[in-house]
Amino acid sequence: MAKRRTRSRAGRKADQEFVSEAEEILERMRLDLADLSEQRAAGGNVEPELVNRLFRSAHSLKGLAGLFGFEPVTDLAHHVEDVLDGLRLGRIDMQSPAVALIDRAVALFGTLLAAVGDTEAMEAAGARVLELVQEIDAAKQAPAEPVGEFDTLDIDPSLLRALTEYEEHRLRENVRGGRHILLAEASFPLTSFDDGLSELSGSIRDLGEVLSTLPAPGDACQSEIRFSLLLATELTAEEVAAHVELPGATVRSVLAGTSTPAAAAPGAGVPEQASAPVKADSAAPGTSETTPAGGEAHAGVESLKSISGTVRVDIRKLDELMNLVGELVIQRGALGDLVSRLMREAATARAGRDFAKVHKALDRKLRELQSAVLEVRMVPLRQVFEKVSRVVRRLRLDLQKDVRFELRGADTELDKLIVEDLVDPLMHIVRNALDHAIEPLEERVAAGKDPEGCIQIEAFQRGNHVVIAVSDDGRGIDLDALRAKGEACGIVAPNESLSDREVLDLIFVPGVSTKTEVTETSGRGVGMDVVRHNLTRLGGVVEVDSTPGRGATISMTLPITLAIVQSLIVVAGDQRFAIPLTAVHETLQIESSDVQRSEDRELLNLRGTPLLLRNLAREFDMPAERADSRSFVVVIGMGDARVGLQVDRLDGQQDTVIKPIQGPIQAIRGIAGATELGDQDPVLVLDVSAFLSDGPARREAA
Amino acid sequence: MSETATSAAGGWEALARSAAVRPDAAAEYLQQLLIFELDGAAYGLPVERVREIVRIRPITPVPRVPEDVTGVISLRGEIVQVVDLRRRLGLTASETTRASRIVVVHGGDESIAGLLVDAVRVVLSVSDELLRQAPSETGAVEALCVHQDEFVSLVDLDRVLAVDADDQ
Repeated sequence: MAKRRTRSRAGRKADQEFVSEAEEILERMRLDLADLSEQRAAGGNVEPELVNRLFRSAHSLKGLAGLFGFEPVTDLAHHVEDVLDGLRLGRIDMQSPAVALIDRAVALFGTLLAAVGDTEAMEAAGARVLELVQEIDAAKQAPAEPVGEFDTLDIDPSLLRALTEYEEHRLRENVRGGRHILLAEASFPLTSFDDGLSELSGSIRDLGEVLSTLPAPGDACQSEIRFSLLLATELTAEEVAAHVELPGATVRSVLAGTSTPAAAAPGAGVPEQASAPVKADSAAPGTSETTPAGGEAHAGVESLKSISGTVRVDIRKLDELMNLVGELVIQRGALGDLVSRLMREAATARAGRDFAKVHKALDRKLRELQSAVLEVRMVPLRQVFEKVSRVVRRLRLDLQKDVRFELRGADTELDKLIVEDLVDPLMHIVRNALDHAIEPLEERVAAGKDPEGCIQIEAFQRGNHVVIAVSDDGRGIDLDALRAKGEACGIVAPNESLSDREVLDLIFVPGVSTKTEVTETSGRGVGMDVVRHNLTRLGGVVEVDSTPGRGATISMTLPITLAIVQSLIVVAGDQRFAIPLTAVHETLQIESSDVQRSEDRELLNLRGTPLLLRNLAREFDMPAERADSRSFVVVIGMGDARVGLQVDRLDGQQDTVIKPIQGPIQAIRGIAGATELGDQDPVLVLDVSAFLSDGPARREAA
Repeated sequence: MSETATSAAGGWEALARSAAVRPDAAAEYLQQLLIFELDGAAYGLPVERVREIVRIRPITPVPRVPEDVTGVISLRGEIVQVVDLRRRLGLTASETTRASRIVVVHGGDESIAGLLVDAVRVVLSVSDELLRQAPSETGAVEALCVHQDEFVSLVDLDRVLAVDADDQ
């Protein structure tokens, strides 16, 4: 019967912690050891990264055991660490019997961990540790590497002296492996050398193993600093030089190896180490990586650095999180109402006040949670831009148009869900620009323009919105042709007077397009209305701006996130509606006498500018409002467009989670969705863009 | 094969008959129908299209939709359109009562919708045997089902949900 030393509860808990952490480390070691044994058996070189990892694991285990006071583990770990260190630095040969002992040590670790909390078992295991440690000591050999082996290298001896023991070891290994040893040198301005250096390293890293990066001696001028990178590779100096895009950089051979360049094999003996986390469940479809933009691992010695700091998250989990937060927000709203009610009644006033305090604290924390979750969903536009770039490159060739493509603001962030839905509309707009807007070469030259056309996509944040503008320097939109098409489609009456803006708006009517033929690349003119529809679904707006002969700009303005938005609650025709605050610029109280008329439109004089008014109740065919001369106007707008929405009264601000309306009717013009406000009835949320872009009702396509 | 509430001789006879005609009589297709009331008459819906049945609750009117769509309700966090089935089938509209219910159904393509009915009666298992042709080809009723002394009108759910959307 095992005698168990009685431990306090805290002691036992500490034991648990140690065991579980140690188990994790041990598991990693087991996996790595299996790989190591394979490579040893194959007789070739062992990956330096593998050895490094094992070394670090042993080191961590040692430290952990030391922290928790498990001496046998510490002792054994120390010896294993020693062997691995020797291996790393080339002091111990891979085939040495000491390496085989590491296997036994890891097994013994397992036994030790199982024995935690059981004094007798611990003692027995401890004895075995002492035995093994002695064996290891005996098996370790002192290295006897020949000195002066680097004489054949055409390299400044001071550089060689600056190498660390590990770097020397790597150099030795690569020389032995017959690889070319090259020296790449470049000068960088003092103020920005880290950028330049990382660029250089970056372009070199994929070509071989960077053995060392050293400041170089030589006559650099005062404001510059010179660096040398020692590189081992299968490629020749000329080939590497071809890859390095830095002006002024030189690449020369320090020692010619015997390698013939393999077909673009990256890394001399340093394989592509995946930066995937150790757990295997990350391969689910629809995963989203929450690394900061561009954080991909590079193959090579530094790959492990990028393991920490990122987690793959299934987008569905993010959605769930978001939904939960949304529901919490609604409940908080309900709670707020309840608190107010309690405070109003004399009997519960005191409890109500206490309640209010707690509610306020809860409110704060909830808001923080909200922002945090929202942030997780934010994703830079870069991915979208990259997709679009690829398509553009292909299209450029197909269309044989010389077009420069500029992307700005790739770091601008948006809710991941919005970003996904952006790709199609953006692609369509860009395709249109490439296909229709940019003129063929002869036309451009004849017009005195740069023969190379330019399409620019710029993304930036403007308050609570993100604007993505696609500009081209093409021929602009032909207003006359557009208007003619509008008349042909029966949307515009022949003698109707339309402002330029209203003509431009015709682009968004299905079936209208200024290009008479249907081209393969951009298809029929059904695109822009779909683009607008998609954007409206996302709560955004599309606007068009054009200068004939000079070019056009199509701007998409989107709310940064769909999830939880603050809304202004208004009452019109006895019903409440919610207007996302991001679209609200100001609110005004007016008298009926303030409303002016022009043709069939109503206007308000807003500080000298005419503001188009729309009466919400009338727009929605709701029963006439009360006969009050007083009403309110909510000035809404996105981008540059503005409209005044006339309502009966305002009813405060609320956090709202805009939900889609499910049912047989697909899209209700003017309604973006609905939300709940604590009490049961859903409240409709207005689609601001519908009020901005509509002309009078007859604007519908026949 | 008859209704689960097996009636007397007629039922047994029919069973014998069907066994003679169809070798797979044992694998008789039994439909389960939700029977509900509109304007005093009985109607039915296939049970597998019914998601749930909820009590009448405040319906928020929605502008720019056909008259048949009364509005939207909140259903445990989801916002769902409600179709006034009386109106949709061309019956006279009426006020809701305490017996009124909203039958939440699965539309095609993963959508859901609510149907406003006067009352919900029962779930019935019926066999094909009891189905008769509908009186009109073009209406929203796709068949009639014989049940005790009544004709139950089986509603063509897809047709009901194909509400005209260009009334906007």
